[in-house]
Amino acid sequence: MVVSSLPPAVVSHLTTGRAQIGTSLSFHLFFAVLGVGLPLMMLVAEGMHLRTGDPVWRALARRWSKVFGLLFAVGAVSGTIISFELGLLWPRFMAYAGGIIGLPFSLEGAAFFLEAIFAGIYLYGWDRLSPCAHWLCGVPIAFSAAASAFFIVTANAWMNVPRGFQIVHGRVTHVDPLAAMFNPAWATETSHMVLGAYLATAFGVASVYAVGMLRGRRNAYHRKAIALGLSMAAILAPLQVAVGDLLGRTVAAHQPATLAAIEGVTHSERGAGLNVGGIPVPGHPAGVIDVKIPNLLSLLAFDRSNATVRGLDTFPKPDRTPLAGPARLAFIGMVGIGTALVAVALGYWLRRRRDGTGPEDRVTLAALAAAGPLAFLANELGWLVSEFGRQPWIVYGVFRTSSAITTSPGLGATFSAFTVVYVGLSALTFWSVRRLAARPPDGSRALGVV
Amino acid sequence: MSLADLLALILGISLTAYALFAGGDFGAGILDLLAGGDAPERAAIETAIGPVWEANHVWLIFAITILLSAFPAAFSALGTALLAPLSVALVAIVLRGAAVGLRASLDAGTRSHALLSCLFGAASVVAPFAFGLVAGGVAVASRVAVAVPSIPWTGAFAIVVGGLAVCLCTQLAASFVAVRLARAGETRLLVHVRRRGLQAGAGVLVLSVAALGVAATASPALFRRLTGAALPLIQLGLAAAALSLLALIVCRYRLARAASLLTGIALVWGWLVAQSPNLIGARLTIHTAAATAPALAAVAIACGAVLLGVLPALCLLFVMFARPRPEVIE
Repeated sequence: MVVSSLPPAVVSHLTTGRAQIGTSLSFHLFFAVLGVGLPLMMLVAEGMHLRTGDPVWRALARRWSKVFGLLFAVGAVSGTIISFELGLLWPRFMAYAGGIIGLPFSLEGAAFFLEAIFAGIYLYGWDRLSPCAHWLCGVPIAFSAAASAFFIVTANAWMNVPRGFQIVHGRVTHVDPLAAMFNPAWATETSHMVLGAYLATAFGVASVYAVGMLRGRRNAYHRKAIALGLSMAAILAPLQVAVGDLLGRTVAAHQPATLAAIEGVTHSERGAGLNVGGIPVPGHPAGVIDVKIPNLLSLLAFDRSNATVRGLDTFPKPDRTPLAGPARLAFIGMVGIGTALVAVALGYWLRRRRDGTGPEDRVTLAALAAAGPLAFLANELGWLVSEFGRQPWIVYGVFRTSSAITTSPGLGATFSAFTVVYVGLSALTFWSVRRLAARPPDGSRALGVV
Repeated sequence: MSLADLLALILGISLTAYALFAGGDFGAGILDLLAGGDAPERAAIETAIGPVWEANHVWLIFAITILLSAFPAAFSALGTALLAPLSVALVAIVLRGAAVGLRASLDAGTRSHALLSCLFGAASVVAPFAFGLVAGGVAVASRVAVAVPSIPWTGAFAIVVGGLAVCLCTQLAASFVAVRLARAGETRLLVHVRRRGLQAGAGVLVLSVAALGVAATASPALFRRLTGAALPLIQLGLAAAALSLLALIVCRYRLARAASLLTGIALVWGWLVAQSPNLIGARLTIHTAAATAPALAAVAIACGAVLLGVLPALCLLFVMFARPRPEVIE
C-alpha cells in the first residue's frame, strides 16, 4: 500500500521500518515535549516563589523538577535510540543528508549536553545553592531544551523544504549548511513545535491538578498550578493559531502536493473553499460531511480569494502521498483540538476576570482534565501531518522514502523487540510518575495542603 | 591536520568519555548482579557510582551526531552492517535504565525487586558486551579493502573484545566503589568488592592478551597494526591493567582506580590508532567518508560551541558534587 509500483517484499520492509521509527518518534515526542515545557514552568514557578516568597510555588517547582528528572532520563534513552535508528533504519538517507543537515544535529547534541549538565545541577542543587543561584541554573535548562527542539525541527523543515545543496551526477555538491538549516520553513515549523510543546505541558499540568481537584483536593497548591498552566495557555494558544496559519502558507508555497492532501483537495479549484468537515472515510476518497467555507482556503493559502489550489490528481501518481487520508485526518484532528484548546483557555480566563477567582465547577475541571491529553495528542498529530503529508518523499521532491530504507534484513525482529520495549517503558513511566504524584509535596504539612 | 582529522579526534575523545562514564555505570550494574541479595553492598555500589544518570548517554549521542554529520558515509555503512548488535545494545540500555529506576521505588526483598535486579544486572552485561562486539568487528573490518565490507561482529576477535569490555567495566566500577568503601571503613564490603575487582582485573589482562593472540591468527593485518602503530598504547594498556591488579592486591585503591581508568583510555585509543585512518572497512576512511568542506566546518563550529559552553558547565557540576552535601533542611 505504500508505493504500489514496488515489489511486495520491499513494501513490507519499508512499512516495518517506518512503523519502527514512527513508534520510536511518537514515544520520544511525548518526553521531548515535556522536556521542553516543564523547565519553563519550573522556572516560572520558582521565580514566583522568589518574588512572592510563597512556599507553595517552591513546592510546585520542586515537585515538577522531580518529574522532569525522571522524564528527562527516559527521554535521554529514547533519544539515544533514535540517533542510532537514523543510521540503522535509514542509512541511505543519512549518507545523503548527513553532510547537508548535520549542523543542526551537532548543535542539538551540544544543546542536549548543556541541558543534561544543568539538569544535574538543578535537580541535586535544591539544598546546595542559594535560591537565586538555583533559579539561575534553571535558565540554561529551559533555554537549551527549547534550542534542542529548534535544531531538530530545522532538520525536519529541511526534509519538507530542502535547500542548501545541489545534485551533480547523483552526488551531493555545493553544500551550504546554513542555507540548509535556515530553509524557508525553519521559522514557522520551529515556532509551531516549541509553542506546541509549551502548550501541551501547560495544559498537561493544569489537567493533572484539575483531576486532583475533582477528587476533592481543593487547596492553594492545586489552584496555583492550574492558574499557572492556564495563564501560559491563554497567552500562547492564540499565538499558536497565528503561527499555524503562517506554517500553512509555507506548506502552500513549497509543498503543493502536501497542501492538497491535508486540505482534501482532490481536483484543482479556483477560489477553493476551506472544508471544515471532509473527514476521509474508506470508500469516500473525497471525505464525508462537507462543510465548505467559500474561497477561504485560497485566501488563507495564497492571500487571494480566487487563487487556484492544485488538486492531488494533478500530481503524477508516484508523487502523491499514499497516506492522504491519514494525513487529512491528522490535520483535522490537530486543528480541531487546537481550536477547542483556545476556547478552553480563553473561557477560563474570561470567567476568572469576571469572578475574581478561577472557575472550579465540575464541568470546567472536567474540560481542563481532558485538555491535557488532547494537547499531547495534537502535538503527535501535527508531527504525523508533517510526515504523512510529505510521503512518498523523505526529502520533499528529491529523495524517496523507499530509497532510504536499509538493505539490511531483520527489521521485523527489531521492530517487534523495540515495540515490546516501548510498551513496557510507557507502562513503567506512567506507573513511576503516578507513584511520584501520590507522595505529598515537600513540606506539605507546613503548607497546609495535605 | 585537516578538519576531518580534527573531527575524528573529537569523535575519539567522546567515545573514550562514553567508555569510561557509561563503562563505570555498566560495571556498577554487573557488581550489583554479583552482589546477589546483599542489600548493604548494593547500597554502597549505588552511592559510589552516584545516581544512575542516564545522561551519560550524552557522550554517545554526541559521538553519533559527529559521525553522522562529519562522516555520513561511515555512519550509513555502520548502521547497515550492525543492525543486530546495535539494536541489542540499545534494548539493553533501555531495559537497565528502566529496571533500576523502577527498582528504586520498590522495597528490597520483594519478588519484583529481585526480578528487576536480575534484569538490571543482565542488561548491564549485555550492553558493554554488544558494544565490544561492534568495536571488535569494526576493528577487523577496517583492514578489509572491499567497497561494502561485512563487519565480523560474531567473529572470535569480536567475542574476545566483548568479554574484555565487560571485564573492564566491572574493574572500573569495582575500583571506584573500593575507594569509597575504604574511605568509609566498610571492611566487610570492601573484601567483597576487592575480590570482584581482582577477578575482573585478571580478566582484563587475560582477555587483552587473548585478543592479541586471536588477532594474530584471525586478522594478521589488524595484528600488524596493533603491534605496529598502536603498540605503545597497547603496551601502556597492558601495563596499566597489571598495575591496577597489583594495586588491588596491596590494597592501594586510589592507585587501582587511576590505573583502571588509564587501562580504559589506552585500550580504546589502541583500537582507534590501530584502525585509523580507516573508519568502516579500508575504503571508508576519515578522508573518503568525510562530508564536504562547508559541512565539516559547520560541525567543527558546533564542537567549538560545546567546548566553550559545555565544558565550563561540566566543571561546575563536578566541583559542586565533589563538595560534601550539606544537611537537608526541610
